[in-house]
Amino acid sequence: MRKLKSILASKILCSIKAAFRTLLWILVLWIGILVQTEGVQGKLYIDITAPSMRRISIAIPDFKYLGKTNGHPDLSSTLPGIISNDCDLSGYFKPLDKGSFIEGPNSGITRDSIRFKDWSVIGAELLLKGGYECIGQQLKVVVRLFDVFSGKQLYGKRVLAPVKQARYLMHRLGNEIILTLTGHPGPFLTKMAFVGTSTGHKEIYLCDYDGHNVKRLTHYDTISLSPQLSPLGDRMIYTSFRNSSTVLFMHDVVKGSVTKISDRKGLNIAAAWKPNGKELALTLTISGNPDIFLIDITGKILKRLTKNWGIDVSPTFSPDGKRMAFVSNRSGSPQIYILDLTTNQIERLTFEGSYNTSPAWSKLDRIAFASSSDGHFDIYTISPDGKELQRVTQDQGNNEDPCWSPDGRYIAFSSNRTGGDYHIFIANANGQNQRKVTFLKGDQLSPAWAQHFE
Amino acid sequence: MKRNLVIATLGVFACSSVFLLCSCAKKQVVGEEKEITAPVKEAAKVEEEKPAAVEVAKEVKAEEEKEVKKVEEARIEKPKELEIAKKKEAEEKVWEDRGGIRLEAEPVYFDFDKSFIRPEYRPTLTEKAEFLKDNPNVHIRIEGNCDERGTNEYNLALGERRAESAKGFLASLGISPDRIETISYGEERPLAVGQNEDSWSQNRRDDFVIMKK
Repeated sequence: MRKLKSILASKILCSIKAAFRTLLWILVLWIGILVQTEGVQGKLYIDITAPSMRRISIAIPDFKYLGKTNGHPDLSSTLPGIISNDCDLSGYFKPLDKGSFIEGPNSGITRDSIRFKDWSVIGAELLLKGGYECIGQQLKVVVRLFDVFSGKQLYGKRVLAPVKQARYLMHRLGNEIILTLTGHPGPFLTKMAFVGTSTGHKEIYLCDYDGHNVKRLTHYDTISLSPQLSPLGDRMIYTSFRNSSTVLFMHDVVKGSVTKISDRKGLNIAAAWKPNGKELALTLTISGNPDIFLIDITGKILKRLTKNWGIDVSPTFSPDGKRMAFVSNRSGSPQIYILDLTTNQIERLTFEGSYNTSPAWSKLDRIAFASSSDGHFDIYTISPDGKELQRVTQDQGNNEDPCWSPDGRYIAFSSNRTGGDYHIFIANANGQNQRKVTFLKGDQLSPAWAQHFE
Repeated sequence: MKRNLVIATLGVFACSSVFLLCSCAKKQVVGEEKEITAPVKEAAKVEEEKPAAVEVAKEVKAEEEKEVKKVEEARIEKPKELEIAKKKEAEEKVWEDRGGIRLEAEPVYFDFDKSFIRPEYRPTLTEKAEFLKDNPNVHIRIEGNCDERGTNEYNLALGERRAESAKGFLASLGISPDRIETISYGEERPLAVGQNEDSWSQNRRDDFVIMKK
């Protein structure tokens, strides 16, 4: 008995050690190289659950160079520029124009060396001060966030990372600032996939959530559509035309390898990930009619999900994976329906408008969709029980293809409101703070949003 | 000065009316087709050119002479044209070609968000079916297309149904489904790019392509 106990104890010790080691590794990886936190306050400054928010004005002056000879003078404005853009896109802040700053050149980045009156007088509520130093290829950054009225430091951090990861570094700091002020991490380290037409062909692209770091993923010179990133952000599926038929492909974003998942006769389109990342729903026409099937990631059919004379497309799963919303014209026009995967019951969700498509189910249990009224498409959100219909876009061209940020707090869509071409916009879930994030030639369509895979 | 202008203008009118009468008379001899169109055209020209009256008068005369020449030339050339036309007609009489060209050149159009065959396209499809019956080796592909409204996912499905709809119609007329493949391009291959019903109606179509002769 004692032996058993001692074995058990040693085993537990071992597993604790192993767990501790993994934890340590995760910590080290996550932190990058060196992070040192300075006094963080617990109070939440921003209640993001409020139906509408007042944006807090924040001043972010150029970062000071802390070393002797500055090898990267440009970073003085680009580093705060990245965080400033994050703050603006988050919808929580209103970054103040640098031209209005009246602070003298001798002020520093520590509490004692800042005259907070210089900032309160121009209307700043928060002040983000930063400094940096380049040591070889390494970048050392210090940031401090102050409450201008009380002069208190709300957040402070020192970070070290390779210079070429400057954007990543600033996004991470931005996320932590949002976490400090709202209790939830920001969306700044997420990725977006979209369909771009700048080459004259529809190809799949990948970029950061703010439209930077654009990478072209496909070079097929045909038509590639409907990218969907896996819940972890490590794999992507899309449909591409091959020899005059549609084929579903899976693209490993990390390795760059491409696998054919489904090339059955007819359509292989509009696939969606189940939240477990192991199964997909897609529309096939093998039954002679566009119906939705459940397949595994090797392409094997697990189950037929819809069986109807009409068109069934565009599936999207609830966060728990137990229900699936989709588009069907079984009532005569395209409308959104919800299938309960355990009871196989199907219920119609949308009744207003004669053309409702593109459902996207958020992690916070809202369904976004595109609806046509007066000849234009606009984005709406609705509860899965059909209540709380909310309009997101209005009177600004066509707005289509909505998708949610991984945390469900932001919505992305493509819009031609700037005239002619479609670009991707992001907005708060309630439609506030709509911002254009892609500025490429041609159209940018069908955004898909996912966690950044590290 | 004013008087001169008036005289000049009157002169132009006189000249042109003479010319009009002449040309009408002459053309009646040549052929009846030009009788209606020519005078209207010339009258419009004269009206436009009123200010430079004298020169116009000269020009008109020159034109008149040209016209006469043209008419004469046409008289000589007409048999040539007839010959070519006859040849063409003879070529078109080859049923296989005529049906084949029409099969590819005549799409079938659809209503918005619909995939049923409109009654006015039944004869078009029936003709295609007859051609396929007469040419049993021909395989075709039907390509379903949609206008840009709606998602490309829904439109891919709708285009598939439009292609299948035409395939079903041909099959009901006795064409083996094995000879017909279908594909949907959804909204990806518009013929007209405008954002209005005129363009949209051209894009809601089935194209027919001969795959194997």
